[in-house]
This record gives sequence, structure tokens and C-alpha cells, in this order.
Amino acid sequence: MSSELSLLGLSLQVAVVATVMNLIPALAVSWLLVKRRMPGGFILDLLVSLPLALPPVAIGFFLLLLLGREGPFGRASQAIFGSDIVFTWFAAAIAAAIVSFPLMTRSIMVAMAGVDQRLELSARTLGAGPWRVFLTITVPLAYRGILAGLLLGFVRALSEFGATIVVAGNISGRTETLPLAVYSNILLGKDGQALKLIAITIGLAVISLAVHNWLLSRGGRREVNG
Amino acid sequence: MTHSPDGPEPIVNFRIVKEFSGFTLDCEARFTSGVTAVFGRSGSGKTTLLNCLAGMVRPDDGHIEIMGRPVYNSRGNSPGGKSPGGKSRRATHLPPERRRIGYVFQDGMLFPHMSVGANIDYGHALVAPERRILRPDDVIELLELGPLVGRPVNGLSGGEAQRVALARALAASPELLLLDEPLSSLDAVMRGVIIRYLKRIWAELRIPMVLVSHSLSEVMALAEDTLVLSAGKTVAQGPPARVLGDPAVGTMADYPALENLIEAEIVQPTEGSRSGLVLVGEATLQAPDVYGRAGERVMVSIRASDIIIATGKPSGLSARNVVPARLTELDAVSGRTLAYFDVGARLVAEITDVSVQELGLRPGSDVYLIMKSNSVQVLNQERT
Repeated sequence: MSSELSLLGLSLQVAVVATVMNLIPALAVSWLLVKRRMPGGFILDLLVSLPLALPPVAIGFFLLLLLGREGPFGRASQAIFGSDIVFTWFAAAIAAAIVSFPLMTRSIMVAMAGVDQRLELSARTLGAGPWRVFLTITVPLAYRGILAGLLLGFVRALSEFGATIVVAGNISGRTETLPLAVYSNILLGKDGQALKLIAITIGLAVISLAVHNWLLSRGGRREVNG
Repeated sequence: MTHSPDGPEPIVNFRIVKEFSGFTLDCEARFTSGVTAVFGRSGSGKTTLLNCLAGMVRPDDGHIEIMGRPVYNSRGNSPGGKSPGGKSRRATHLPPERRRIGYVFQDGMLFPHMSVGANIDYGHALVAPERRILRPDDVIELLELGPLVGRPVNGLSGGEAQRVALARALAASPELLLLDEPLSSLDAVMRGVIIRYLKRIWAELRIPMVLVSHSLSEVMALAEDTLVLSAGKTVAQGPPARVLGDPAVGTMADYPALENLIEAEIVQPTEGSRSGLVLVGEATLQAPDVYGRAGERVMVSIRASDIIIATGKPSGLSARNVVPARLTELDAVSGRTLAYFDVGARLVAEITDVSVQELGLRPGSDVYLIMKSNSVQVLNQERT
């Protein structure tokens, strides 16, 4: 049981850190794409969705090239911290962040698009700059959708496998998250243990998705009040 | 208020060129009156013009000055090329938050996650203390919003929401109020109520306004100056009564629907089956639904096509209102004539050219205006 608890702990740690890392970039990119019609926006839009369309294993490989000892980030990490990024839980978090970014961002984009632009323009004419409008109008009115997007990204990060195994490996107790442990158990023929871990994964996913759906249904049914 | 193009300080002075969906807005004007209406059909470019003034839309070319301050200039030269040196070459386009304007959307656009009071405070809190000319309390009092302040905004009626939107804009101490069809989503009674508040804003606060409207009745009731737009071009500008008679405007206007929206005083409220009385100028008129207190000021609506003209005092009429009046002006537009009368207030009636000739009407003629009491609609909130 203690091994399951530590697996669960590490998986949650990786997914939470991935989600937190994504929050600001996802809000920024959503705002740029939804509220600012900038030239070349379609390229950014495409880039945002790209990880959704690529095999995660390919993303893992790109990350390995960037974060590895010979990669620019790997070298910087060596120079500054004297340690590697790859094959650490942090590499797993980065992989999970990148793979879950599109889902999170697209949900937040939908939420922001639901905030009537005229409300934001009203705030502008009342003297609020773009930043204040974002914080006092856009985010409060879209917060359910933003939370839902965070949860969706969190669920995706929890179940991340392909990119993680390439860039973080499958090191028991250090980088082994639930999906990686499921894989190990299958390879070892421990079907019972694999199913047990899958059950835990399903439990987490069901809870997160239930909250996600609740947020969206409440947010959609009535205007935020007070 | 002067309408002279050489008036000392224009409230708004602009030339705007903006291409959008199919045609080009290309117009130039000076607004010098307290209340200026931009009139035109939907798609004429009037809202685009307002949005350019507000800084929500960036013109392709031209310049805009609000209260003498340049807020937009495509070339960066000072307005009208008056500065030969051309101090700055950079184009100017101030964002809405730096234009010191208030903007009221057609349906209020109140912030749904804030109370009425928080909506009103939003802009006020952002104004530098030395530039504040109004406190939220003053505005709440002027627009009689006291009982609503603590309420959430999503239970408000259309008229209440529009009043809160006005209050919110005013509390930010704007130098100019821009109103986009502020009355068109309201019913007749609420429209009358809001018109009274708008008149009061100009009368008591002296904050000038530019309002966009497609209703001649509203323009007549509120504006001192009117810019008429058609397909993105100015077709006329001047006082509403003059513009109304312009042939170019005649083709756009729905004269039979034209209403006299005028302020009146309640003389005697309706009681039981007895009609009430209102004083319009010097004329006391019977009206069916006069709710309120004696002495209270209200808006009254009388359709231009509901006014009948007689050259002598008629007798044996069922119509309850027979009012002596002097004809001041006749405007013949595309087969119809708009006749303006002085009854202490100005009333416009819509009649046929044939009637004008047969009755021998000319400016200065003394006549009687006949109105059924049902044609006199009192627009008061307290109506039940």
C-alpha cells in the first residue's frame, strides 16, 4: 500500500506542478488569441494545438533534445544548478505540462470568448487599462471556465505517459508516475497490480472530470452573481 | 448654444475615414451643442462613428479632438495642420481609458459580477482625485438610484439597468458622454423616463453628450444639433427641426411614427374613471393615464399624425383637447408636410400638402389643434 501511496503522491506532485506551470502561459496565450486579434495569431493558435496532434513520444524526444546534457536547457541547468533536468520528476512535470497545455488553453479560450467584449470595452471607457480589465472583468467572469480548463489539464497531466517515459525515464521512486507503474506491471506480468493502479487512475479522473463538468454546467446555466 | 461652425470651442471636432464591411465611413464635423444626435438608419455608420470617438475602433485616416484635446490623429500633426513646425510625427490614438469619455451601450452592459453600487464605483475609483467632478452619491441622487445601490444587477429592469449604466459612466467624471441607442431597448414609458434623466444630466451637470439614434422622435426630444449619416456620409447637419425637413432625411424618416416627446407637468392625476390633466407649455391637456403627483414633471408622447388642425374653433367634437396654437413653420417633404406649432411648447403635426393648401396654412396662422385624450400618452414610471 505504501508503494501505491508514494506513486499517487509523485503523480499528483508532477500533475500539480505541470498545471501550475501552465497557468500563466495558458491565460496569456488565451488572452492574446481571444481578446487581441494580433497579426499572425493563427500561427500561435496552431502552435497551441500542435501537442494535441503529435504523438507524445515525439514531444518527449524533442524535449530530450532540448533538456538533455547536450541541449541548451540541459547545459544551462548544469552550469547553474550543477544537475541534470532529464530523468528527474521535474522533467516529468515539464513533459506533462507541454502535453496538457493545449487542452487547458483551449478550455480557457472558450471561457474567455464567453465574456462579452462590450463589458470589457465599458470598463476601458471607465478608465481601466487592459491589465486591470483582464483582472477585474475578464477573469472573474470566466473563472469557472478557467478552473475547468485547469482541471482538464490536470487530468491530462496525470495520465501522461509517452513523453514522460522518454524524457524522465521510468525510475521507481523518482520518476515513476501511475501510468508508468501500470506499464511496468504489465511488462512484469503483474496484471492484478496493474489493474489496481488503473483503478486508482480511473478514480482520480472521474473525480476531476465530475468537478470539471459541474463547473461548466453551473457557469453556463446562470450568470455569476455577487 | 451656438451652431456656428466658428463657435469658440467645439466639444468634438473630427474627420474620420474608416472602411468597414462594404462601405466607407467618411465624414467630418464639429459638434458645439450640449446634446448632439447622430441620426441614420442601421448600417449608416453611426455606431462606427461613435466607436471611433470612443477609441474602440481605430479610424484609417483623419483626426479627432475631444474638448480640444487631440485623441486621434493619423499623421501626428496637430489638428487641421495648424502647427507648421509639426512637433510630433507620431500618429496619435489614445485608448478609451485615456479619452475621458463615458460610453453607454444600448443594453447597459453592467458588470454582472458586481452590485449596482460596485458598478457605479468602478470608474470613479480610477479617476485621479483632482479630476473628479462628481461623486457616486451625487450621481445616485440625480438618477434616483438610492434604493437600488445594494442590489445585484441581474434583477434590474431594462430602464433601471440603463439608469445604472448612465450613473456608472457619470461617476467617472467624463468630459463627454457617448450614448449608443440608449433608448431603443426600452418600452415607451421607460423611454420617456430616461429622456427626462438625460435632459437633467445636461441641464444640471453640463456634461455634453453625443447620442446615436435611429428615432427622429428621440432626436427631436433631446438634441440641439443633429448629424445625419447615410451610407457613411454626412447628408445634413443642423438643429433637428431643420434637419427633419431636409429632403435627404425625408426619405429615411418614418413621419407617421414621429412622436412629440415633450416635458409636461401633472396638473391633476387620473382618479377612477376621470381623466387626468397635464400642462404642456401653456396648454392643459386631458390624458387617460396620468399617474403621479400634481406638480410632478413627466414626459408626454403625442404622435405627430394624431394632431388635427382646424382654422376655427370646432364644436360638437368628441375629442377632448382643443388647443389654440400659432403655426410657426412648415416643412414640405416628399408629399407630406410637417407643421410646427407654438403652444408655449413646440408641437409638430404631420399633415398632407392638400390640407395645407385647402386650409391656407402659413407661418403665423392662428389655428386650433385637436387631440383625442387617448393620443396624449403620459410616460411615467409609476404607471401600474
